[in-house]
Amino acid sequence: MNGSGYEAPRTVEETVTLLQQANGAARVLAGGTDLLAQMKMGMTSPALLIDVKKIPELASIEQTADGGFRIGAAVCGAALAEHAALVAAWPGIVEAARLIGSEQIQGRASLGGNLCNGSPAADSVPALIAAGATCTIAGPGGTRSVAVEDVITAPGKTCLATGELVVDFRLPPRPDGSDARAAKAGDAYLRMIPRSEMDIAIVGAGVSLTLDEAGVCTAARVGLGAVAATPLRVDAAAAALIGTTLDDAALAAAGEAASAAARPIDDKRGTIAYRKQVAGVLTRRAAKIALARAGGNG
Amino acid sequence: MARVILTGSLRDLAQTKDTGPIEIDAADVRELLRKLEDRLPGIAKRVEDGLSIAIDGDIVADPLLEPIGADSEIHFLPSIQGGS
Amino acid sequence: MATAEVDQQKKFKWIGTRPVRPDGLDKVRGRANYGADHALPGMIWGKVLRSPHAHARIVSIDTSKAEAMEGVHAVITAADLPEILSEESKIGEGPTNFRDLSHNVIAREKALYHGHAVAAVAATTSAIAQQALEAIQVEYEVLPHVLEGDDAQAPDAPILHDDLFTKGVEPRPTRPSNVASRTEMGRGDAEAGLAKADHVITRSFRTKAVHQGYIEPHAVVATLGEDGRATVWASSQGHFMIRAYCAKLLGMDQSQIKVIPAEIGGGFGGKTTVYLEPLAIALSGKAGRPVKMVMSREEVFRATGPASATRIELRMGCTKDGKLTGAHARLEYEAGAFPGSPVGAAVMTLFAPYDIDGCLAEGYDIVVNKCKVAAYRAPGAPMAAYAVETVVDELAEKCGIDPIEFRLQNASREGTQSAFGPKFKRIGNIETLEAAKAHPHYSAPLGPNQGRGVASGFWFNGGMQSSATVQVADDGTICVVSGNPDIGGSRASLAMMAAEEFGIDVKLVDPQIADTSVVGFSDLTGGSRVTFATGMAVVDACRDVIRQLRERAASIWGIEVDAVKWSDGAARATNGDAGLEPLSLRDIALKAARTGGPISGRASLTARGVGMAFAVHICDVEVDPETGKVDVVRYTTVQDAGRAIHPSYVEGQMQGGAAQGIGWALNEEYIYDADGKMENPGFLDYRMPVASDLPMIDTVIVEVPNPTHPYGVRGVGEVPIVPPIPAVVNAVHAATGVRITELPLSPPRVLAAMDARRN
Ligand SMILES: Cc1cc2nc3c(=O)[nH]c(=O)nc-3n(C[C@H](O)[C@H](O)[C@H](O)COP(=O)(O)OP(=O)(O)OC[C@H]3O[C@@H](n4cnc5c(N)ncnc54)[C@H](O)[C@@H]3O)c2cc1C
Repeated sequence: MNGSGYEAPRTVEETVTLLQQANGAARVLAGGTDLLAQMKMGMTSPALLIDVKKIPELASIEQTADGGFRIGAAVCGAALAEHAALVAAWPGIVEAARLIGSEQIQGRASLGGNLCNGSPAADSVPALIAAGATCTIAGPGGTRSVAVEDVITAPGKTCLATGELVVDFRLPPRPDGSDARAAKAGDAYLRMIPRSEMDIAIVGAGVSLTLDEAGVCTAARVGLGAVAATPLRVDAAAAALIGTTLDDAALAAAGEAASAAARPIDDKRGTIAYRKQVAGVLTRRAAKIALARAGGNG
Repeated sequence: MARVILTGSLRDLAQTKDTGPIEIDAADVRELLRKLEDRLPGIAKRVEDGLSIAIDGDIVADPLLEPIGADSEIHFLPSIQGGS
Repeated sequence: MATAEVDQQKKFKWIGTRPVRPDGLDKVRGRANYGADHALPGMIWGKVLRSPHAHARIVSIDTSKAEAMEGVHAVITAADLPEILSEESKIGEGPTNFRDLSHNVIAREKALYHGHAVAAVAATTSAIAQQALEAIQVEYEVLPHVLEGDDAQAPDAPILHDDLFTKGVEPRPTRPSNVASRTEMGRGDAEAGLAKADHVITRSFRTKAVHQGYIEPHAVVATLGEDGRATVWASSQGHFMIRAYCAKLLGMDQSQIKVIPAEIGGGFGGKTTVYLEPLAIALSGKAGRPVKMVMSREEVFRATGPASATRIELRMGCTKDGKLTGAHARLEYEAGAFPGSPVGAAVMTLFAPYDIDGCLAEGYDIVVNKCKVAAYRAPGAPMAAYAVETVVDELAEKCGIDPIEFRLQNASREGTQSAFGPKFKRIGNIETLEAAKAHPHYSAPLGPNQGRGVASGFWFNGGMQSSATVQVADDGTICVVSGNPDIGGSRASLAMMAAEEFGIDVKLVDPQIADTSVVGFSDLTGGSRVTFATGMAVVDACRDVIRQLRERAASIWGIEVDAVKWSDGAARATNGDAGLEPLSLRDIALKAARTGGPISGRASLTARGVGMAFAVHICDVEVDPETGKVDVVRYTTVQDAGRAIHPSYVEGQMQGGAAQGIGWALNEEYIYDADGKMENPGFLDYRMPVASDLPMIDTVIVEVPNPTHPYGVRGVGEVPIVPPIPAVVNAVHAATGVRITELPLSPPRVLAAMDARRN
């Protein structure tokens, strides 16, 4: 892994310029927990590393005027967990990010890196998809906003063009539950790994729900990881929940829809049959947790 | 007379399935092996190829000079390699 | 810790206490020097080129481009090592076949597994060495390969070795085979015993290759000078082994090689042979510089020895009231590319805990195109115990008898004719079963989706050769020197036994591990033998010193040596000679120069009277009915240690063995693709348990002292890995109703079994 240059720009514009000049030979470095490991294994040897952790927009979390959140792409998992308002509004996203690696990894690993590494098993991605998150992508032609589920295009591949980087993630506003009679929301993420930590998801499922004052689900989104070449948004599973109180029949239907949507492969980490089956189980279980977080009677 | 009991893969040397103990008068293992070779040709080679000898339940790795009691029980075992 | 039986006769000062280990501080502060920590001036880096094929004839190797590269100092192939002919393949007493070992270290005519070494280079940096490897041109003629023991026995299977004829079958085969040998062991008439049974269970089991999981990859630094003398720094389970093996493989005299042991970061049997060491010496000789070689984790997985994959067919029967009457087992163990699986030990251990009228075990050693297996804690026994202990559980269930009660009814004990031949001497089988039965864990309530399993285990333990010297410094402190790398806390135990012998504070004893030129020969650190056998040598050497101390005291006092006894750290006149104040070790040491010179003692011995070991484990699991994930929620190990010299390190062995066995049961396996390439050569996808996967593992040390050891020691390091697999599998059965006969119990396999039962 020798021979790489290193730059630590302070602005997005500088970063875009550096990326453009390098013409594909540079890589963005956030926490480095994927990139440095890949360099060490000889899988890649970029000529230039551009460290984005010193760019204010990428290193901060803010609550936006509309009541949503803006999370810098390079913010590490530990910092997400320290942001009380974020944890209260989006516990599922934070718990997904917190599953990444160990205490040491948590001090580095970012949402931007987790997404841009392009793994179908990236833990935070199904939770971000369920949340309806979009990301802001900056490049030579300015900035654009892309839904998280549209970023990863194939294992290890993203929609980012040369010269582009992810600046931040935008989360929509949440009903905050301060009024007991108004709508409430909750999200959750679960993954299946054979061990208890330090492992790669065989299946991951993120669910986000909104309930009206009667406890009926008015909006839902479901994201699945590790069951296809890219993380999936599963509208059929969400549809099975919307309009219900998440009774057993609705949960079972959502689980079946998730299993049906899964298009996994057989590999050293799991079989097709197992992944499809467990995608349903985790979707159901994550929905129940999201329901409880939304104050519903699960 | 010491009693030599053949088990396992050594039984084929005796050319019969059901061997009772072989009684042999020997003061030590060296003498025992010499006398046993007359009755079971090939046994000395098998022992050399890596068999341990158990005398009255004690597995002894360097047995040549080991004395044998008048009513000792002798077994031959494959030698075992340890792990940890 | 609970103590079930202790010898009340003697009160010990140090034995059974828990002083801080002498190597502890250096290890926790990162100062300890492991294999890869050594460096020498002018040192260069060696790397190995490995076969990309599972089975291929090596047509040619062109090293010229690599040799011409700047910074490359040496390139070697098998042609640089002496060819060992089959008739001289064995030396000494051990079972090692040196022709095979030589071919495993570097392939000669054929590469026999993916990852098999075919050439090695040494260069000024490891990056240059890597580039040089890529410049070596090897022409292979790819041959059909065989990866599974079953397939290897098929009539049309590719044959690995043209000169391998199955040993142990009559008449002698005339065609070469992948079945290297057949062994059998048993007593009585197995079929007649089975015919008498009311219940007979027949099952077939499969296990995959698993890795010992030592943290430290293999590492070595070697120099070979123009004078033909070599010095080797290496981490291993036996530096005398490295010396002997390298001498044989390189055609050197043992006196030309000095091996200096490094601290070892785990071995568990995996470091009982050589891989890099002979290559490093040969490269150094060619380069004229010290050469360092360190394996990557991936190389450790691809090219060093795991434990065998196995297939076991077992029939066992008992009467209605639970008396085992007969048993028959057929065990097939994969050896990897060269003969030598531990199937012999498996055949001997599997029925050992039981008194069965008629039993027979047949073992087959099978070669396949995978890396050659190595020892792993109680080699061969855990897989065999998986079969026997789960079938015993099933028989107990059939009879409606509690599984521990069933084992007690059938347990071998002192005087029982063992299934491997001799009668058992004093053993703790009954005592460990009783202690397990009485343990609160065994009767604790279980939650939903939980189940409890128990299993027994047996291991012989080893004796073998050990040496020690004991030196007295003139301030009365003691240095204990032995030749066994300390893997499990043996320095602490040896120092404690010496302190006990002398009657002095253990802090005054400095235990050291010396290189091959300093201390007498010692066999490997393996077979759970060091505290037992090297401990005996240390005790003998201490007694040699004490005899001399009494002589010195007698001469100082001018009395007969018989009138001097040694107790509590001092020589004492026994006749009550008036005015003769006791002379402490320090008093005598101070006068050593004027009473005959330095005082030291030594002992070299072949230890006998090994105390065999039994263990019983209790395991509670919780199984997720929808995902098949198995969590171990409570675990208790009960083991007869003979006597625990340092209980913390005995407990550490028990816990470590249980942790490894649980990993073996639940998730660990070597996964190969169809071409024979291992797909999971790293700890991400080779899933050993992490700390949070395991509950606190409780330990109960039972002490049935071994009558032939001065302190009653039995080996403790290996038997704790024997019961975990069946304990976990029996617990999963209790929780789910399914009996799973193939490892590992990964979530997909468990879920599929539960689904099959539900439908
Ligand atoms: C021990 C260990 C355990 C792990 N466990 C998990 C786990 O449980 N779950 C999981 O999902 N992952 C896991 N990972 C993988 C990794 O930690 C995560 O994917 C992490 O989120 C990556 O973030 P990072 O900031 O370190 O990314 P980096 O390594 O810095 O970057 C990853 C990739 O994304 C690109 N990139 C980074 N930021 C941007 C940006 N803003 N714009 C454009 N491209 C960008 C980089 O160029 C690189 O290609 C683990 C890794 C390790 C080493």
